[in-house]
Amino acid sequence: MTQVGAHNRYLDAALEEVVGARPVPARAAALIQELSYGVLRWYHQLAAVARLLLEKPLGPKDRDVEALLLVGLYQLRHMRVARHAAVSETVAAAARLRKPWGKNLINACLREYLRHPERAQREIENNPAAALSHPAWLLEELRRSWPREWEAVARANNERPPLVLRVNLRKNSRAEYLARLAAAGLDAAPTTLSDAGVILPQPAPVGRLPGFADGCVSVQDEAAQLAAILLDARPGERVLDACAAPGGKAAHILERAPGPAELMALEADPARAGLIGQNLARLGLKALVVVGDAGAAQSWWDGRPFDRILLDAPCSATGVIRRHPDIKLRRQPADIPRLIQAQARLLDGLWPLLRRGGKLLYVTCSILPGENEDQLRAFRDRRPDAAESALTGGWGRARALGRQTLPGERGMDGFYYGCLKKS
Amino acid sequence: MQNDDFLTATSMALRTILHLPDPRLRRQAAPVTEVTPAIRQLIADMAATMYAAPGVGLAAIQVDEPVRVVVIDVSEERNALLVLINPEIIATDGEQTLEEGCLSVPGIYEPVTRAAHVKIRARDRDGAPFELAADGLLATCIQHEIDHLDGRLFVDRLSRLKQGRIRKKLEKQSRLAM
Repeated sequence: MTQVGAHNRYLDAALEEVVGARPVPARAAALIQELSYGVLRWYHQLAAVARLLLEKPLGPKDRDVEALLLVGLYQLRHMRVARHAAVSETVAAAARLRKPWGKNLINACLREYLRHPERAQREIENNPAAALSHPAWLLEELRRSWPREWEAVARANNERPPLVLRVNLRKNSRAEYLARLAAAGLDAAPTTLSDAGVILPQPAPVGRLPGFADGCVSVQDEAAQLAAILLDARPGERVLDACAAPGGKAAHILERAPGPAELMALEADPARAGLIGQNLARLGLKALVVVGDAGAAQSWWDGRPFDRILLDAPCSATGVIRRHPDIKLRRQPADIPRLIQAQARLLDGLWPLLRRGGKLLYVTCSILPGENEDQLRAFRDRRPDAAESALTGGWGRARALGRQTLPGERGMDGFYYGCLKKS
Repeated sequence: MQNDDFLTATSMALRTILHLPDPRLRRQAAPVTEVTPAIRQLIADMAATMYAAPGVGLAAIQVDEPVRVVVIDVSEERNALLVLINPEIIATDGEQTLEEGCLSVPGIYEPVTRAAHVKIRARDRDGAPFELAADGLLATCIQHEIDHLDGRLFVDRLSRLKQGRIRKKLEKQSRLAM
C-alpha cells in the first residue's frame, strides 16, 4: 500500500513482488489481495475517516503506520471479521514496524472509531469525495462528462467486477468450455455481446480455470472483447495491432475464424512486448511481434499498407477502475492533457499506414470524452480522407462519433470505440 | 584450425539480409535453449553471409531468425570468427566514439558513442558458457550486435535530425533499386 500510495507503483506489480517473492500460503495470499484491493478501492473514504481520528496528520516517513491504520479501518467497515480480532491483528502488525508509538496510535484510533462510528459516518456523508471514495478532481471530471450518470459510474467503480473469460474458439467451442467449467464446479454463463465470452459471478484464481495453461481460455472483460469483433478482420487482410501489449486483443483477432492473413502486434516497451509473445505462445497463435513506437513508423514500417488498424491507445483507464482501484491514487489531473496529446500523435502517425478503403478502429478504456469522441472528431476534421464508419449494435450508448460503454452497464467495463474509414 | 574445421564441417548457404525498415528487424530475439543441428547450420550460414557481405558482425535476426545468436570477426585476416549464443553484457566502462555501419542499413556510416570496455557472458558454438572482456572495435561490435537481438539498430542511437536524413537517403536508394 505504501508502495502504491507513495511511490506511484502499479498495484498488481507491487503485489506480485511482495507475494510472489516468498512462499505465502494460498489463504494468506488471498487475504493480502483482498486487503490491498479493498483498501485502495475505499482509500479516499478510509483516509477521510483516518484524518478525523488522527489529531495531527502523519508525515511522509510514517506512511506505513497510516497504511496499517487504513487496513484496520477497512477490516472494521468492509470485512466480516470480529471487531476485537481486527483491532488486535492490526495492532500486532504495527508492532512489527518497530515504531512503538505507532502501535499505540493505531490502537487508540481504531477503538475511538468503534466508540463513535456515527462521527465517521457524518464526515463521510458531508464529503462527496469520501462518500464515493474518489479523488475530488476525478469526481468533477466524471460529473462534467456524465451529468446524469456520474454518481452511478462512481458507485460502479467501487463494485467488485465479475470474472470474464474469452474462450479460445480455435481450441474449443464456448459450449464445450462452459461444460468444463460446470464439471469443475464453477458457476458460469455465456456473455450476450461477445460470442466467445463467459462470465463468472464468483471470481476464481486463474489456476483453477480448466485448460488455462493449455491456452483454452484467457481473462478479458466483455467490453474489451468487442475490439476484435468490431475490427472484423477478413481473410487475406494485413492487420496492425498498435500498442498491443499484453496481447489479449491481438490473440482474439487470431482466434476468430477464419482470421486475417497477417497480424503485426506492435509495442513500444520491449519488456511488455515479451508478454505478447508469451500470451500468443500459450494460446498456440502466431503474429509478428514488433518492438516499435506507433507514432514513429519510419523505424519499423516496410511501406506495405494495412487493411485494418486497431489502435488501443494509452489512456486514463478511467473505465476500468473497478478492476484497478489503484488508478484512483496514481492518476493525476495533469495526466489527462498529456494522454490526449499522445493519443493524437498516435492517430496522426498511424493513419498514413492505412490503405485507401481501410479502417482504423480506435479504442480506449477511458470514459472521458476528451480522450474519446472529442479526440476522434478532431482527427476526422483535420484529415479530409477520414470519415466515420458507423458501429452498429444495441450495446453501449451512441456518442457524437463512436460508442461508449460505462462501467457496470451490462456487467462490462467502460470502453470507447470509434471507427474511421479512409477514402 | 578450429575455425576452418567448423566452417567446412557443414554445407553453408548465404542467407538474405533484412534491410531497415523491415519490421522483422524490430523483434526481440529469444534465447537459445539448446544448440541443435538447426542452430549449428544457422551459425555456419551466418558466418558465410557475414564474410560474403563483407561485414564484421551479424545477428541472427538480420537473416530473419529471431534467436540470440551473433557472429563477429573484426580481424584484418578474416580468420578469427567469434560465435556468441545468448550474449549478455555484465559490465561496462568508459566511452568511445567509432564510426558504425550495418549490413541492414546499407551505405550509411555514422559515429556512435558506446562503452569503451565491455565484459560479456555468453555460450560458444557448442553451448559451453564463457566470459570475455573486449575493448576497441570488438567492444563496439559486440554492443551493436546485442542491440540487434533486442530489436535495436545503431541508427536509433543517432539524433532525430540524422535519423530523418538517413530515412530520406534509404527511400531514395530503394526507389533507384526498383
